Parts: sequence; structure tokens; C-alpha cells
Amino acid sequence: MNSGLFLGLSPLLVVSLGGLLLMVAEAFSKRRVDETSDDRDAGPSSELSLGTAVTLLAGAVFAAAIWFVGPEKLEGASSVAPWVIVDRFTLFFSFVLCLGGALAALLAGGYLPEHRLDRGEFYPLIIFSTVGAMILASAGDLLSLFLGLETMSLGVYAMVGFRRASLRSTEAAVKYFLLGSFAAALLLYGGALLYGATGHTDLAGIREAIANMQPGKGSNFALVITAAVLIIVGLAFKVSAVPFHMWTPDAYEGAPTPTTTYMAVAVKCAAFATMLRVLIGAFGEGGLESWAAGWPPVVALLAVLTMTVANLVAGQQESVKRMLAYSSIAHAGYVLVGVVATMRAGGDAQGSVMFYLLTYTVSTVGAFGALILMGSRGAEAVSYEDLAGVGKRHPAAGFAFSLFLLSLAGVPPTAGFFGKLYIVKASIGAGLYPLAIILLLNSVISAYYYLRVMVYMYMREPAPGAPIAKPMRSGYVATALVVAGVLVLVLGLWPTTSLQIAVEAALATR
Amino acid sequence: MEALKAQFPATNFTLLAVVLALPLIGAFVNGVFGKRLGKAGVRLMALSALGGSFIAALATFLLLPKGEGGGTLAWTAWRWFSLNGRMGQTIPIDVAFSVDAMSATMMLVVTGVGFLIHLYSSEYMIKDPGYHRFFAYLNLFCFAMLTLVMADNMAVLFVGWEGVGLCSYLLIGFWFGEEKNATAGKKAFIVNRIGDFGLLVAMAILLYYTGSLRFAEINANARNLLDPVTIWPFGNLPIESQWDAANPSANALYKAIVHLFLPEKGIQVYASTLVGLAMFLGAAGKSAQIPLYVWLPDAMAGPTPVSALIHAATMVTAGVYLVARTSAVFLMSPAAMATVAVLGCATAIFAASIGLFQHDLKKVLAYSTVSQLGFMFIGVGVGAFAAGFFHVFTHAFFKACLFLGAGSVIHAMHARIHDTDKSQDIRNMGGLKKYMPITRWTFLLSCFAIAGAPPLAGFWSKDEILWRAFSTKIVAPEVGRLEPLWTWPSWLGQTIYWVGVVAATMTAFYMFRAYFLTFHGEFRGWKVVAGWKEPKHAHGHDDHGHDDHHDHHDDGTPLEGPKPHESPLAMTLPLMVLAAFAVFAGFLMAEPIHFEPLGHILAPVFTRAHDAVVLRGEGVEKLMWPMMGPGVAAFLAGTGAAMVVYLNKGGAPEEAFKKAAPGLYKLIYDKWRIDELYDAVVVGMVDALADIFTTADKWLIDGVLAKLTAAIVAFFGTVLRTFQTGRVQVYGAAMAIGLAGVGFFLVRPHADATVDDSKLRSAGEVVISAAPGPGYEYRWEGTGTEQKDFGPLREVRINVNPGETKDVKLHVRNAFAQEATHSFAITRPGRGFPSSAAPVPVVPGGVVPAGGGSIPAKDIPGLINPRGAQ
Repeated sequence: MNSGLFLGLSPLLVVSLGGLLLMVAEAFSKRRVDETSDDRDAGPSSELSLGTAVTLLAGAVFAAAIWFVGPEKLEGASSVAPWVIVDRFTLFFSFVLCLGGALAALLAGGYLPEHRLDRGEFYPLIIFSTVGAMILASAGDLLSLFLGLETMSLGVYAMVGFRRASLRSTEAAVKYFLLGSFAAALLLYGGALLYGATGHTDLAGIREAIANMQPGKGSNFALVITAAVLIIVGLAFKVSAVPFHMWTPDAYEGAPTPTTTYMAVAVKCAAFATMLRVLIGAFGEGGLESWAAGWPPVVALLAVLTMTVANLVAGQQESVKRMLAYSSIAHAGYVLVGVVATMRAGGDAQGSVMFYLLTYTVSTVGAFGALILMGSRGAEAVSYEDLAGVGKRHPAAGFAFSLFLLSLAGVPPTAGFFGKLYIVKASIGAGLYPLAIILLLNSVISAYYYLRVMVYMYMREPAPGAPIAKPMRSGYVATALVVAGVLVLVLGLWPTTSLQIAVEAALATR
Repeated sequence: MEALKAQFPATNFTLLAVVLALPLIGAFVNGVFGKRLGKAGVRLMALSALGGSFIAALATFLLLPKGEGGGTLAWTAWRWFSLNGRMGQTIPIDVAFSVDAMSATMMLVVTGVGFLIHLYSSEYMIKDPGYHRFFAYLNLFCFAMLTLVMADNMAVLFVGWEGVGLCSYLLIGFWFGEEKNATAGKKAFIVNRIGDFGLLVAMAILLYYTGSLRFAEINANARNLLDPVTIWPFGNLPIESQWDAANPSANALYKAIVHLFLPEKGIQVYASTLVGLAMFLGAAGKSAQIPLYVWLPDAMAGPTPVSALIHAATMVTAGVYLVARTSAVFLMSPAAMATVAVLGCATAIFAASIGLFQHDLKKVLAYSTVSQLGFMFIGVGVGAFAAGFFHVFTHAFFKACLFLGAGSVIHAMHARIHDTDKSQDIRNMGGLKKYMPITRWTFLLSCFAIAGAPPLAGFWSKDEILWRAFSTKIVAPEVGRLEPLWTWPSWLGQTIYWVGVVAATMTAFYMFRAYFLTFHGEFRGWKVVAGWKEPKHAHGHDDHGHDDHHDHHDDGTPLEGPKPHESPLAMTLPLMVLAAFAVFAGFLMAEPIHFEPLGHILAPVFTRAHDAVVLRGEGVEKLMWPMMGPGVAAFLAGTGAAMVVYLNKGGAPEEAFKKAAPGLYKLIYDKWRIDELYDAVVVGMVDALADIFTTADKWLIDGVLAKLTAAIVAFFGTVLRTFQTGRVQVYGAAMAIGLAGVGFFLVRPHADATVDDSKLRSAGEVVISAAPGPGYEYRWEGTGTEQKDFGPLREVRINVNPGETKDVKLHVRNAFAQEATHSFAITRPGRGFPSSAAPVPVVPGGVVPAGGGSIPAKDIPGLINPRGAQ
């Protein structure tokens, strides 16, 4: 053990220790829930929310600090490889995950007290899920990968069912848990088969074994292919690609909105990180990367299905939250296009995928956050009608929501524009013209339902007597929105630097 | 000075940030907190922002000689984005600013005149409820205009260009409560969009040929633009050799059809001409030249200080600035320069003629601005860039002074008449000299300046332009073995000179007409009061309850209501300063008397023009003094005529002319009915098109496509949504089906292959490579060497004789012992066929094209120029 190792693992350690401390603090805290009280400052959220956000941001800061030091200079950090790989790829994702988690925690700080859900355990759950997500992103071995996946998922299952009194919330949690276990089982089984076929659990070893495998009678290729099928499906479930997405709208809608935010950003980003590591790392050779018979055509088809189905159904939704759930599925489809392009176009394409995940994180946190801000207890913003005229009554909230929706739709000069642009550029660079065209068509469809929200906010007046959403007041939510909004604009106006960082991070895995 | 120099190195001259930031801060503070600040606060903020900016600009100007390479100060804020050039090189586009003598002069005009106009507005707009909004826009405008003139590259210039357009739109429609103002704002916006299109096209071509958007590099690489471009047929149509040879009888028909639409010979122009014309379209939109001038007169709907700042002194000159800035590009195309000069000349005389009989004081000034902008374009069009720019400079002072003077008059009239249109009508003015002495004297001096009275500012600049038009010629650049460029005929410059003299005469006439009608004679504004009647009816039908009105205008005592009065100091001070400049600014570049400090500092900006623009003949320079004669004569004739008609005869000859030729008078008054023509032609055409499209839209798009698309989208959405039952079993089943699908794809063998037939025709060699797959084995048939069993051979080479067809079969077996087959028929064309008629090799089945990447860079020029004139 040496200081290099400690420093290399410091983002993980800081977040874990912070989580433990907060848990103890919460246990000894005098602040207890009074579910009937309207005093929103009395509950544990008022101290835990900020504490959680600070802990997670500290993790992000440590990740950034190691980035500047250079992970390759940390001697001893490689002694935990391949279980935990400390490279620029890991650091990039640690940063994004911590950022997403911190913003979600801030949203919870406003949301939970407002909706009388103010119980302290939410915050340790966020922190430990993030720890799992960070492990997942850094895992270079199937064992630690599974460990991270389960650490992350268990916390999220609990967060989905956090609204105990609500049937929908518990139903969502049970559904997510059932199907999640199914997917985890597939992943685990696939891993077991891979171990059987190659004798390795580490991704690099698996890759090498497959590359050296000879075809013909008695080869283990049949096992490898079966394992690949199982693992691809398991990963597709986690990124909620169609047709493994069906849990997503229910879980996203039933969960408290900060949980939804967290799932949409952190869980999805971690899943994509591990997808990149597994598909590019372990399945990058031996015919599995083939454009005719390997995983790229499969993922391409999943991407097309995901984008198209999600966008078509999103346009049909009456609930804004559910629309955003489908929108997050559609975005997963866009990212999958980039994943396919990565196989052919290399580091730049993978960098564009990672840049996209960053822009997607800030835009999505913002959109869900704005939705949270739009409603208050008894006057929630659920359907489009609830938002009628809100842009005129509450210009700041309306502006914030519009900004994030425009970013999701990919309108310049927001972050989302450059995210999409680089993915399209990467897929064109890889010669994947049909995918690029389908992506563009889909983003046109998506503009319809994003703009529809703005039409309601600015051009409609609520019907007389109809329920209208009444924005809540919360410094936490406002802070999260300001941070996300600034990032959306900064990434939209100065995209090149962060893209270069993402490309540099992507090159670390190659 | 030394301390400043040490503080701000020439390549990182951050003082420019201060110049830019102050107006932006002012706009932000006034826009966001203006309501709370109160009017005094808003005034302080706006004035201090502009004042500070002016001081910083002045410091910049003074530090200029110490700048890089003969006077350039640069500051790069950040890397904006980068593009790939046609050679595959990276072209960085920075948010960067650089200032040379021309930019610095413009900065001084924008901030200096801008400050005076801010000061003036702080009083003029005092009663307006949108006071803070007004100053926020005005500050924002100054920021955008500074961005425009300080830009180091066209991308940043375009940001400023759009910014000033936006502010102009906002300020024209400032009193948007009135339909007319909002419409005028829209008109300006739309016409400017047409121009912006031209500018964008120009930027794209420049980027393509010069590989940069930076002005320094564009000007340095301008010779790259000497490249012929086929503009017709448009795009990459088949060239004759491709379809002529193979099957003559069938293709004869095709040829006949194609030549119905396409000329036998393509049309080529030089890229420089394309750029020049596109850029001039942009400049014409912003600077109100024919055919895009129609928005400027309507723009007078905005508050008068806005007209002074934006529509006289600064924004409208941006087009001239742009042409002067990219002078090296224009010098590559005499044809584009001739277009600029001729259209400028036409605008100058055309707008001047409209100005002759306008009644609205601001309209007179508006057409005068259009006309003067025409003079500026004559200047830059004949290669006298410094002279054209000098006219921008002098015009800023006297025209701003005239507009502000008009504003002062309107302010006084409005206090009495309370009607915007009537208080701007010169028929209601007259005799104001005794009420408003300062306004009158400054207005008069500016009239002398614009009319070209020696030795005031307008005389020197206008004379310089006309003299240059007469005396110089443009040397067309050498183009080697290509077709030579079009060159100017010798009569063109002289024609422009004489037309310019006539326009100058008209200028003097209409300006002094306005002056005499406004300030001399009797005040006619008494009559414009509710209830006023001609004396004989005064006690007749008085049904408005104003029976105590009497006609007093005979003895000069006013009716009830306030008298016209001089404006307060905050408004008259700017008038006096501007008038002083209108008198003396000409001495900054008085070439005939060899006193031209501004000319000297501008010289390095236009070094290239020095080589390309030469005197037309031996001894022409001796004509410099004599050629001044017609200019002075024009001033005397115009002024004298106005004096006779309006001062001595009280406007009677105009009435006489109106009676004698009512049609012509009306036609001129109605601005030659160009607006109506545009309405009829453009709007009519658009309407007709719109009708067609509405019908098409209704039936085809709405009825079929939109409803169908919407229905399909909704249908699939609904269908897909029905799977979303909420039942977890269904979800699990969907996952299982997905799993089965993925499994099916990966377990099934895929016998795909790529065929490289690039050597088929020459060497008869084809390479077939089977796509790899996990655990795949391959067996080939028909390759020559027979293969009994599956093996790892993934790529085969096949030799085909001319005229022969070979059938090749690929069998693939995967790890699950599944097999798949793919066959190919490869034909090599026989000898004797012309090579262009060779049939494409028949390759059935799903063949993935080899490569499949982007077009290599070297092929791109061929796409644009298929006939290959190089």
C-alpha cells in the first residue's frame, strides 16, 4: 500500500467515507420527521442534502485533481487493477457520476420536504449507489463489475420505493427489482460462461483469450457467443434500450422525481461506461467486433429501435414526467449510435459518446429539476395542462425549463446541440450514414414533444378552474438548476475543451 | 503612455475587452435593474459606460502606432471552434479582436458619437416609460457595433452584424404599440436577412478558397480566389463523354432533352467575383443600397436619436466598412467592384431624387442617408477605399448632427402638436430660427457640410471620392493562362463622376429646401391645433366647443398651447460638438492641400490598393484642382436654387411644378413607387406562390403527408403504448423476445463479403474478403484452387480474363455448425468496348461497398467544377 494507491482511489474513498459519516450523523441527529408538519426546514433534509452534495462534489473534485496530476503517474494505483482501474476513463466517469449524484441530492433537498417524504436514509442511499456506479465505471473485471452493479442497483431499488405510502411507488420498485434481477442474472450467467470458455474474469484477459481462440471442432466459440448474447442483453437492460426498456417508464414515473433524475443520469452513465469497457474491451476481437456477424449490427439495431420507439411513444404521453422518461430512453438510443461508431471510428467517436453523456447529464438533471420546481405539494406539475401559462406567471422557472428542454432537443447554443453534433459527426466519420440520418429524423420528432411543453408554458392559458401547477420555493433546487444551467450554456458555448477532455479519457481505454 | 503600453502588449491587448465590456455591462444593468435604478441611475449607467468605453477607445487609438506590424493591436478571447479546410487542415475560429487604423477610427466614432447621442437621448426620451429599456438596447447596440468593427475574423464580425441588426429591429419597433412601427421593424429585419444570406455565402466561399475567416489571412490569400467556378450547369451533372459514347442512339434523345435546359457550354466566373457579389449583397442589405434600400426610410419610425446613431452614423455604414475591410478580395474582381460602384452611384442619384420633395423631415434625412451611402460605395467601388471610409467618418458627424437637430425640432413641435406625423412635417414648421437658435445654427452648418461647401467636412470627403472615380483605374490581377478578368471600360469612371456631381447638386438642393422650410419664413404650426379654422370659418360651424379660438397667425402671436422652444443643454451640447466636427473634420484628410493625417495612418490598411489602383493616364493629377470646380458648382447651384425657390419665392415654384407635372411630382413624392413595385412583384409573387403552396399544403401536406405522418406516428405510438400494460409479465416477455432476437442474430451465420474490383478492368484481378465472425470458417468454390473442407482462409484473389464471367461461392460455417452461402458473378468487360462504356461489374447480393468513408479531399474541387477548366 502506498500513497499513490490511496490517491488513485481517493474519489471512491472520499465518497464512501462521507457516506458513512453522514449515515452516523443522520442516526444521531435530533431532526426527525413530522409527517404532518409544514415546516420544511425541520426535517433531516436541510442538513443532509447539502452534506451529500458536498461529499459527492468532493469526489468529483478529487477525480478532477487526479486528472491534472495524471493517473499514469500514480505508482501503485495499478496494484488494484483490473478490479479497479484508475485511468482517465474512470476519472471522467467518476466526475460525471458525482456531478449527477450531487445535483440529484440537491433536488432531493427541495423535493422531499415539500412532499413530506423527508426521511434521512435517502441521502446515504444516493451516496452508496454512486459508490457502486463509480466502481462499475472503473471495473476491469467481471467480478468487481457485478459487485458495483449490485451496489448501485440495490440502493436505487430502495430509492424508487421511497414513497412508501404510494402504491405506484412501491409497484415501480417491485417491477424494477424483478426485471433488474432478471437482467442481473443474465449478466452473471454470461460472465460465468465467459469464464468457462476463456478461463479469465478480467476483461483484457477475456479479449486476449478470444483473439487467440482457434475456430473449428472443439472450440469454445459457441460458449463465447452465448455469453455475449446474455451480456449484451444485460447491459441493454441497464441502459434501457428497446425492447428491454419497458420497466423504465413505470419505474421513472412511480419513483420520487429526484430518484428518477438519479436513475436517468447516474445509473445510465455508469451502465454506458461499463458497456464501453465490455464491448470495446472484452469483445473487441476474434470476430465478435465483426460488422456482419458481431455485436455492432446488434447494437445498431437496438439503437434504431430505441430511438424510434421511444420518440414515437414519448409524443403520445400526457404526463410530462413520463414524457421525460421516454426522452431519456431516446437519448440512450442516440448514445448507442455513438457506441456503434466507436467500433469503427475509434477514440474520437468514444470521446463523443462520453461528451454526450456529460451534456445529457446536465440537461436531464436540469429538466427534471425544473419539473420539480414547477410543482408544490397539492399543486404538482404532472400533465401538460398543469403547466399552461406557467411561463408567464413564473418567468424564471419557465426560462429554466425551456433552456433544458432546448438542450435536450439539441438546439444551439446549448450543450445538447454539440452532444448530438459530435455523435452525428462520429457516425458519419464511421460511414454509418443510415444511423446518422435516423438519428437526425428522430431528433426532429423529439423536438415536437419538447417544444410542446414550451407551447403550454408560454402560449396557453389554464382553463378556468383547472388545477394549475404552483412552483415551489427551494434554494437547493434553485442552486441545482443554476449549476446545471450554467453548465448547459458553458458546454454549448465552449464545447471544444470538454470534448478534448472526453477524447483524452476515451483514449485511455485503448 | 509607456505605462499603458507596458500594461497592454500588442498581441494581448486586453484594453479591447474594456472597450467591449463597458457597454455590455451597461446594457445588462439597465436591462435587468433599470426599473429599480430610476431614470437618473439609468442615465448615469448608460453615459458612464459609453464614456468609459470612449476613453479606452481613445487610448487604443493613441497606442496604435506601437502595435504589431505597422499598427495592429490584437486580443484573442478564446478559441470558439475549429473547422476542417478543404486540404484537411484545421481552421481555428477564435473569438478574437484586432484593431488597426480603420477599426480604431470606427471605434472612436461609435463610442464618441454614441456618447453624444446617449447624452442627447437622456433628455429626449425623459418622458418615455421605457426609458431603461431604451438605454439597454442602445448600450447593447454599441456593444454589437464595436464587436463588428473590432472583429478579427468574419465569424465574430457576423456576430456583431447580427447583433446590430437585432438592436436596430428592437429600436425601430421601440414604440411597438403602433402597428406602423412594428411593421417597419419587421421590414428592416426581413430585408436584412436577404443581405445576411449573401454574407453567409461569401463567408463559405472565402473559407473554402482562402482557408481562413481572419481578415488578415483572407486578404493575404486573396489570390486563391482567382479560380474559375462553373456556375451553370449547377452541380455535378453528367458530362458528355459519360453518356455520349456507349449507346449513341438512346443517348441522343437524352442529350436533346438535357440541352433543352442546359446550354452547350457551361458558364464560368471567377470565385472572387462570386465572393464580391455575395458580400456586396450583404453590404447592400445593411447599408441600404439598391435594391435593398427600402427598409431604411421606414426605419425612421424609431425614436430620432436611434435614427441618428444607427441609421445614419454607425450601423448603416457597416457595409462600407466590410467592403473596405476585405478590399484585397474586391481587388481580385474588377467586375464586383464595378457592381459596387455602379449600384452605389445609382443609389446616390436615385435616393437624392426622392429626397427632393419629401414632406417629412426625417424622411428627407433618411433618403439623404441612402444617397450618401451611395457615395461611400462609389468610393470603395472605384478603389478609393480610404476616401470611401473617410466619407463614412465625416458623414457620421454631419448626419448625426442633422438628425439630432431634426429631433430637437420634432421635440419642440411635438410639445405643441402631440402628433408624431404632423410634428415631423416640414409644411407645419417654418420660422423656427427665432425660437431655436442653437438648433438652427448647428443644422445650418451641417447642411453646408453635407452639401459640400468648401472647406467643410463633406466637401473634402465627397470631392475626394468623385475625383478618384474620375481619375483612377483598377488594374486587373494577372491570372496566368486562364481567361483574363473583365476590366473597366474607361468611360465608366467618368460617367460615375458626372452622375455623382448631379446627385451632389440634388443633395444641396433638398438639404437647403429642408433648412429653409424648417427655420425660415413664418411658423405654420399654429394652424395644427385641434379646432383651428381658416379665418372666414372661425366663427361658423364650431361644433367642438372651442369657440374661443381666434386666428392670430397674421400678427404672429400664438394661439393657446406652448410655443416652440429651444431644447435643454443636454440636447444642444451634442449638437454643438457634432457641428464643430462637421466643420473641421474634413481637414483630417484634405488631399488637395496635402494635409491628411488620417490618410497617413490609414495607408497601411490599404497597401494592396496602392498597387492595384493607379491613375488613369499621364497628367491626370494636374486635373485635381480643376475637377473640384464641378463639385463646388454643384453646391452653389443646389443651394442657390433652394434659396430662390424656398426663401425668396416661398416655395411657389414647387407648387407650380406640382401643378405643371402632377404625375411626375406625385411619382417622385411616392418614391418612384418602388415600394409598390416591390409589393406588386415580390410580395405579389410571394403571395401567388403562397397561394399555390397553401393549396398544396392544405391538400398534399396537411391532408396527406401531415395527417398521414401524424396518423402513422400516433398509430405506432398507440400500438407501442399498448404493450406498456403495466404488467410485469409482459415486460419480462418482451425482454425474453429481445433476448431471443439477439441470440438468433448472433447464432445464425452471416456470409457477407466485400469485393474489391478496382483492378478488375486493368489487371483482371478481384479480391473478395469474407466478413469475419466469431468462430467462423470459410470454404470457397470457383476460385481455381478447389477447397474440400472449411478452413480459416478469409480472403481470395481471383483472376478473370477479358470477356469472361466467373461464379464464386462462399460457404461459411460458424461455431454452432450452422452454414450459410453467398454467390458472386464477376464479369470482366471484353476488349474493344470504349472504356467509358464499360458496364459496371455485376455483383449480386448484399455486397458491402469497399471503403465506404467520406469523399477524399482531392475530389472535392472536381465535384464543384466538373468541366475542369483549370
